[in-house]
Amino acid sequence: MLDANIRKILMQVRDKAADEGIQATLKLHHEKSHLMRIGNNSVSLNTSENLVRLDIEVTDGRKQGSQTYLGAINDADTVQGIFDAAREKARMASPKTYDPIPDKVEVTINEDSQFDHELADIDPGIKAEAYREIIERLGEKYNYSGSWSSGSMEVYILTTANRNEVCHRGTDQLFTVVLKHTQAKWELTHNQTGWRASDFSVEKTINALSELISVYEENDGFKVEPGEYTVIFGASALSEIIAMAMYTGLSGRGWEEKQSWTAKFKPGDKILGENISVVDDPTNPKTFMFGFDMCGRKRDIFPLIADGEFMNLMYDSATAGKYGKKPTGHDTESPSIVMDTGFGHADPLEAVIDMGRVLYIPAIHYMNIPNRSKGIFTGSSRFNAVLVEDGKIVSPIFSSRVTDSFQNVLGNVKVISSVAESVNESNTYGRRAPVAMSVPSYIVSEGVKITDSADSF
Amino acid sequence: MTESMEVKKKISSNISRIASEGAGYVDARYYLDDSSETLLLYDGDLEANDTTVESGIGVRVLWEGAWGFAATSDPSCLDACFEKAAMNARTASRLVKVPLSMGAGEAVKGSYATPVEVDPFSVSLQDKLTFLTRLDNDLKEDFILKRMVYVNFQRKKVHFQNSEGSEINKDLVNVFGMIMAMALDSDGEMQRRSMSLYSTGDGTAGWEMVTNPELFSGHAARVRSELAELIKAEPLEYGKRSVILLPGQGHLQVHETIGHPLELDRILGYELSYAGGSFVDLDSFGKLRYGSDKLSVSSYGSIANSPGSFGFDDDGTPERAYRLIDRGILVNALTSRAMVNEANEKAGREVFQQSGGAARATSFYKAPIDRMTNINILPGNDGTEDDIIASTEDGIVVDNPVSWSIGSNREHFHFGCEIAWEVKNGEKTRVLRNPTYQGHTLEFYGSLSAVGDESTWKVELVNNCGKGEPNQVMQIGHGVPVVKFDDVITGERK
Ligand SMILES: [Zn+2]
Repeated sequence: MLDANIRKILMQVRDKAADEGIQATLKLHHEKSHLMRIGNNSVSLNTSENLVRLDIEVTDGRKQGSQTYLGAINDADTVQGIFDAAREKARMASPKTYDPIPDKVEVTINEDSQFDHELADIDPGIKAEAYREIIERLGEKYNYSGSWSSGSMEVYILTTANRNEVCHRGTDQLFTVVLKHTQAKWELTHNQTGWRASDFSVEKTINALSELISVYEENDGFKVEPGEYTVIFGASALSEIIAMAMYTGLSGRGWEEKQSWTAKFKPGDKILGENISVVDDPTNPKTFMFGFDMCGRKRDIFPLIADGEFMNLMYDSATAGKYGKKPTGHDTESPSIVMDTGFGHADPLEAVIDMGRVLYIPAIHYMNIPNRSKGIFTGSSRFNAVLVEDGKIVSPIFSSRVTDSFQNVLGNVKVISSVAESVNESNTYGRRAPVAMSVPSYIVSEGVKITDSADSF
Repeated sequence: MTESMEVKKKISSNISRIASEGAGYVDARYYLDDSSETLLLYDGDLEANDTTVESGIGVRVLWEGAWGFAATSDPSCLDACFEKAAMNARTASRLVKVPLSMGAGEAVKGSYATPVEVDPFSVSLQDKLTFLTRLDNDLKEDFILKRMVYVNFQRKKVHFQNSEGSEINKDLVNVFGMIMAMALDSDGEMQRRSMSLYSTGDGTAGWEMVTNPELFSGHAARVRSELAELIKAEPLEYGKRSVILLPGQGHLQVHETIGHPLELDRILGYELSYAGGSFVDLDSFGKLRYGSDKLSVSSYGSIANSPGSFGFDDDGTPERAYRLIDRGILVNALTSRAMVNEANEKAGREVFQQSGGAARATSFYKAPIDRMTNINILPGNDGTEDDIIASTEDGIVVDNPVSWSIGSNREHFHFGCEIAWEVKNGEKTRVLRNPTYQGHTLEFYGSLSAVGDESTWKVELVNNCGKGEPNQVMQIGHGVPVVKFDDVITGERK
């Protein structure tokens, strides 16, 4: 748990600022991260980080400034020094043309329902052994790489608005392995996610990859000519599409500023297919559950799309202040986006048995948005992508590019899986901020545009 | 003794201790200061006024062919940090099929400081804001709905030591800047036009770059007038035509389809689970025709004031200017010591003579990986931008990226740009909106038909190159002239 001394120091600095009538937010972030990388069938890096960051933001009327510190915090003078730097930045700032909405910890929250001691203190040797077993059982003739990130993080927030405290402590992991055929150059992957050490099992990876290995070994790659196809998007591809569609369509700022693909619509309008419903649900255990945002606001279930209808926009505090709206608890790096499941068979191949030729694209590599106003995304197939005919996998497919709109792909969904899958969307660029989505394990979408393809994987 | 001197002494003794226990190699990077200041004026409102200050030590230990790494932000935990790194390396060595080796290294002693006239951290916030607000005012016009003025300043003071007796001090300063204006087009959709601070390759890299009208502060009127044309423009129609890339777009083309595929760790398969692989393999060097004869590409390129110039890499290798592609033929890669040794061993011949000095880590708490430095297309003999346009029958000139999506082995790509100018029979005719183009890397560079001269060459600065696990963001430079490619697929199929 949060070091008692640091907690006392932060409360002292908060109390002093509050007494002086200064408006401020203090955020402490502590992570213990571990990551093992695999390359060329070996551990290529085994790394540990133990880092404490403190962000202090001061609001002086319409002026704001912030200071972030990553270093040792052992005394009150250090924290006061960071506070004074932020205060000085706010004093020197130019005033905004609107009133910023003050941060406020609405209720005291102390949550750690997704914390697992075993994962927090996992012995890296366990990871090395798991990779060794996977390599030995699937065959040493392949080239293996991968990474396994795990760790714990703790966030603690105080505001001068009151003496309420919010604290979140959690653990998370993301395991990835890539199996590559050194001559044929095809690549298969498998991921596992969760917040408990016991969420991981070698067996899951072996089972998932074994079946595909024979398809890839026995069949040549298929070049997909540009055109329109029926496509099964797997959970990883679907989560990327949904995340991008929500981010570029339902953020308050993008909509207010007419940059989003929803700019010409308003809440209540039909914007996606009637079978599409999406919600931000911080109580869904397939996501990493954060009960508050970084401004101290409580996070609740928040409908985004219901039966294809545009429900709500996500407003961060700054956007809400600027456009006279209420913040919705979206000053967070860890939303809990959940797409409703449907009625499709658990096995996607069963779902397309009567559909003839279908592309199965489980994941999309390097997705980007060439036209945000039209909601057009582009990205290419990579791992585990196969051609399916009458419900049977026929051959792997070469790297193929999908360039299409959210409204087309999510407006022509014929089947939605009845099984929900957790997809880890975390990155490790900045501070540890675990994020996972819950999406159906696949959708089948008709008339998807393939715009280019390579003759290699 | 000051605290930092004490820390450096403790680093030395810990390195000796871990090396004497049998480690193949040990190094430590002590960041005395890693500061970053970001200012953002959005419609004139100061939406970001943030400073981040970091300090700490990162330790790398090579044990029986495997890396262990650990970092701490608390100098009082230094001994434990070395212990952790050594323990991580020992654990890693339990699964080693291809042992890593740094090879024999000599002690390198030296220092490097980015040339700076005015340290951006010495300029008062008030002076900075006064200047940026004036720049924001220059962007104002009735039809413009959104304006952005952004700057970011970075300062890194790094002390490096390794078990070969190397000791290096670096004092790095980076400056980034961007202005952008947005307005609605005739379909009610938002268009944008932007410009990022660039370098000419000479001179200094401080606050003076921000106030230099040529490099940054004098472009607001051009941005406004190009946006005014853009919102009245027709969309680009699908078709094959020549594409002329201005450096604002050309640098990203080079970055994504020359820089990344030539990172040796990527070529050797160390990035497959995140960034991807490369269509280049070890047999390609000295043989592969990467592009037409007009394509010559360098690393470093002796550029004075770029974030891709840093004196010594994080293996302790001094920076080295060399060619990656020579008149169309692939000749070298972006390399670090361990990757060069592994590649040569794997190929059974000396593919690479020495490290290219490309081992870079983004902060004290990340381990170095193979990175771009300054990756540059050398200027050519096809004249000015106007000369290249004059020699084009049917094409578009494009600038500044909106979107980039690249195949996992960098074999194909799709780019969206802010603006296109149609070229017909040697003349710029009109502006076109929503331009995109796509291609396959080798075919595309094979169609390189014109490379502009020195007058068209600019060093564009990249502040956000993502790679590695744990993920790292790196700062890079790209010197590029105006370049023309023929028979490129542009626009989207109906
Ligand atoms: Zn990059």
